[in-house]
Amino acid sequence: MAEAIGLYLPRASFVHRLHPVTKLAISGFILVAGLALPGMWSPYLLVLFGMLPLAVLSRVFRVLASRTWRIVVPFMISVFLIQGILWSGGTPLIGFGPISFKREGLQFAVASTGRILIVVSSFLWFALTTRPDMLMSALAQRGLSPSLSYLIVSSIQIVPRFQARAATILDAQRARGLEVTGSMLRRMRAVVPLVVPLILSSLIDVEERALAIEARGFNHPGPKTSFVEITQAGWEAFLQWFLVLAMAATLIFRFLSR
Amino acid sequence: MADARRNFNTITLVLIPVAIAINIAVGQLIYTLKIPLYLDSIGTVLVGVLAGPLAGALTGLISNLVWGLSGLNVTYAPFAAVAAVIGLLAGVFAEAKWLRTWWKAILAGVITGIISAAISAPISAYVFGGVTGAGTDVIVAIFRGFGFGLLPSSFAQGVTSDPLDKAITFLLVWLIVRALPMRFLSRFPGASNISA
Repeated sequence: MAEAIGLYLPRASFVHRLHPVTKLAISGFILVAGLALPGMWSPYLLVLFGMLPLAVLSRVFRVLASRTWRIVVPFMISVFLIQGILWSGGTPLIGFGPISFKREGLQFAVASTGRILIVVSSFLWFALTTRPDMLMSALAQRGLSPSLSYLIVSSIQIVPRFQARAATILDAQRARGLEVTGSMLRRMRAVVPLVVPLILSSLIDVEERALAIEARGFNHPGPKTSFVEITQAGWEAFLQWFLVLAMAATLIFRFLSR
Repeated sequence: MADARRNFNTITLVLIPVAIAINIAVGQLIYTLKIPLYLDSIGTVLVGVLAGPLAGALTGLISNLVWGLSGLNVTYAPFAAVAAVIGLLAGVFAEAKWLRTWWKAILAGVITGIISAAISAPISAYVFGGVTGAGTDVIVAIFRGFGFGLLPSSFAQGVTSDPLDKAITFLLVWLIVRALPMRFLSRFPGASNISA
C-alpha cells in the first residue's frame, strides 16, 4: 500500500507482529469494558492497567498520549464546566459567589471524561499499531465478504488522492479569482465552486474503476486467494476467543446488574 | 439479464469507496474554509439517492468506521449508526421522488437533520457527556442553565446545526445529480427516481 490515510506507525515491537484480529479483540474488549463496567473510575483503571502497558509495549506511548490528550482535553473542559456547574438540583460543593460546582455534575463529568478517554485511546492504539490493509486481508481470510473488504481498503487508499485533488481545485478556483477568505457569506459562497467540481471529477473515475476490477475477475465466483497470508500463533486464537467471551460476559453482567 | 445485474452491482460497489473519500475530502475542505457546517455526508447521501437506501446506509456506516479506524477523527466512530440512518433516509426520500425538485430536496434534508440530531443526542450524552468540545457547546450550556435535562440540551445543540447542514448537503446532491450525464446515471437503480 503506497499511500493511504491512517496513523499506522511501523515499530519493531512484539505488539506490531500480533495478528490484526488479536489487536482488534484487545481494543474491542477495552472499549466494551470501559463503556459497560459500572463505577465512574473503572474506565480510568482500564486506561492505567490496560492501555498504558499496551502503549508502552507497542512503543507508541508518546504519540498515543499526545494525540489522545489533544482530542480529550476540549471535551473534558466542556463537560466539567457545563455539566459540573449547570447540573440542576445538585449539591453545591465548591462555590465562587453565585457559581458553584455540584457534586452530581462533577461525578458525571468524571465518568464522561473516562468514557471519552476509553473510546479515543482504544481506537487510536489500534490505528497506530495495525495496518488497515492487513486487517482487511486478515478478516477476508476469516470469511468476511471480499466485497466488504474491498470497500474499506479502497476507500482508505483513495482518500489521499482526493485530498490532493481538493487542494488542486482550491488553487485553481483561487487563481480564477474565487474568494475563500473574508466574511462568512463570502466563504459560504465558495462552497459550490469548490465542492461540485471535486465530486463531479471523482465520479468520472467510477465507471473506469468498475470496468477495471471486472476485467480482473472481481465477480468471479468461488474462493479467492490473497497476496498476503497472515499467520498467527496458536495462543493468539485462544486469546481472541477468550476476549470475545469476556466482552459478552461484561455485557451480560451489565444488563443483569441494572 | 444476469450479466446486466452483475455489472450494476459492480458499479455500486465502486461508487461506495469513492463516496466515502468524497465525505472525507469535502469534510476537510469545509473545515479549512472555517464555515460552521460539516458537509461530511455528501457522498453518503449521493449513494443513497443513486443506489438505494441499503447502499446508502452501508456507505454511512463504513464511512464513520473509516474515520475512526484510520485515526483521522476517532470521535466520529460512535456515530456510525447515525451516518447509516442518513444514508438510509436519503434513499427513502429519493424513492419517494423528493430529489426531483430542489425545494423538496431541501425539505428532505431538514427532516433528515432533525432525525439525525435525535439519534445523535443519546450517543453524545452517554459517550461524550452531552458536549462536543467545540463552540456549539454554548447552546448546551444555555439549555443546561435553563434547567433542561442532558438529552434535551444535547438534542438542542444538534438541532441548531444538523438540519441546515443536511439541507445544504441534499441541495448539493440535487445539483450534482443534475450535472451528471444520463449515460452515467442510467447505470444506477435510482436513476428513474431522479429524472422524470
